[in-house]
Amino acid sequence: MVDFFATYGSLIVSMVLGGLLGLSLYLPLMTGQLSLASPGFYALGGYIAAILSTKVFTSSSSLFPIPLLLLEMLIAGVTCGLLGVIVGIPALRLRGIYLAIATIAFVEVLRVISLNLDITGGAVGIFGIPQPFQTQLEYLWIALPLLLISMVLLYRLERIRVGRAFIAIREDELAAGAMGIDPTYYKVLAFTLGAILAGVVGAISAHFLNTWNARQGTFDASIIYLTFVLIGGSRSFLGPVIGGMVFTALPEILRSLADTGGLPNWLAQFLRDGRLIIFGLLIVIGTVFFPQGLITPDIFQRRKNQK
Amino acid sequence: MSHSISEANSSIVLEARALTRRFGGLLAVNNVSFSVKKHEIFGLIGPNGAGKTTLFNLITAFIPPSSGQLIYEGSEIIHLRPHQIAALGIARTFQNIRLFGELSALENVIIARHLHTKSNMITGVLGLPPAPSEELKTQRKALDLLDLVGLSDRADEKAKNFAYGDQRRLEIARALALKPQILLLDEPAAGMNPNEKQQLTEFIRSLRDRFNLTIILIEHHVPLVMGLCDRIAVLDFGQLIALGEPSVVRNDPAVIEAYLGNE
Repeated sequence: MVDFFATYGSLIVSMVLGGLLGLSLYLPLMTGQLSLASPGFYALGGYIAAILSTKVFTSSSSLFPIPLLLLEMLIAGVTCGLLGVIVGIPALRLRGIYLAIATIAFVEVLRVISLNLDITGGAVGIFGIPQPFQTQLEYLWIALPLLLISMVLLYRLERIRVGRAFIAIREDELAAGAMGIDPTYYKVLAFTLGAILAGVVGAISAHFLNTWNARQGTFDASIIYLTFVLIGGSRSFLGPVIGGMVFTALPEILRSLADTGGLPNWLAQFLRDGRLIIFGLLIVIGTVFFPQGLITPDIFQRRKNQK
Repeated sequence: MSHSISEANSSIVLEARALTRRFGGLLAVNNVSFSVKKHEIFGLIGPNGAGKTTLFNLITAFIPPSSGQLIYEGSEIIHLRPHQIAALGIARTFQNIRLFGELSALENVIIARHLHTKSNMITGVLGLPPAPSEELKTQRKALDLLDLVGLSDRADEKAKNFAYGDQRRLEIARALALKPQILLLDEPAAGMNPNEKQQLTEFIRSLRDRFNLTIILIEHHVPLVMGLCDRIAVLDFGQLIALGEPSVVRNDPAVIEAYLGNE
């Protein structure tokens, strides 16, 4: 057991963070808005934590103080939230694929800026981000409560006035407007909540990965997060959480598959390096055969009816 | 029809002044002016493509007018957005039903209570006052409305699984949840048989009295409109060709030529 956690500790934490990132994409999707901006906010949150912990909160103790980590998460969340409002108000005037394109552009803009600023370390990035824990597995003390709290909040959100306004907009924006719901306000709110979550996760990830650079917030990441939600399920918060966990673990599973003996060389190579191709294929297959993802609210409904 | 004459002096609640809407070269609504009195059932009829639904869309701010004014209780409302129109107390149903299909009947009605509830992100998620009591009240009111349209026993069914006529009634319940002053009904009797149409006539009249509503309705079925409405406006090719009590409109030569003659 100890061995298992020592070997897979890093993967387990990555899976939890993956679930959180899935949720950050799911929030705007609750209002029907396909936003791919999460990696941008994730990268920004990471840079905030990386810069603060290496340049501002330098401490002499061997472990980085946890209250400071929480403070970084707060600062990252607030900053990303403000940026979310600023970006969201104009961007959410766009619909469907145009919003997706605009948010991809946003992610790219942030990436190029981070590549060219001194404070972000340029292309090299920021190294030696201090560790608040002895082992990587201990990051669960931060990541797991965050995931559980987020899940409880989303569970509640789907059942209250605000969440219902989100869902009404997703179902029919015009009708929602006619029912007195201000679509712009709630779309920006959902987008901003997703931005805050992505920023907070970024702040944890910067410490967790020990290094942060412009490769963290890329178009590739957008597609991967999108896979979390599209395949996991876009109609219930459990979908993106489970999607995020499974698809974070998938490359590791593929890698170990590739290492099993007897496979032709090309297949092993493909399993090792073809991650994005496999994700892309899964998105296509998923949208054709499971348009609402694998985990849909109907699953729970059916279970309830059978009892 | 005698009561409508006695209401002739009652206050005007909604007034359109020279409303015009162009779609490219097409004048969908052309210089239309009329006023609707409080507590009136106002019919809007005309052949297909006459501009009736466009007029509804103008009133509810779904589309902006090319020119003209819209006055609601003394103030100009043409620059408002749909949710602001709803907040003023103008609710509508849709010709091509626009329910939230994936949601239950009850949720559809609850969503329309949005303006009359206040809980926000924080109080809602944490279940702090006023959210819990508000939630209970909202549920109860929504169930009452479903009861009113005869759907309370199917409150948990998805709206998209309802029969056409039931969906229309659910849309009315949803619109009523806004506690409107004016209710716009876009072809409420579409797809109903004569018996159901008769019931609908009585139902609409009872709604008006019970909720003290002003009702504007679009309808193709002429006997229903003639029997139900206090006044009728007739549109043809975007123009208002007649306006008045059913007995007057029925005998208007322009109306007979444009519309009734074809019946």
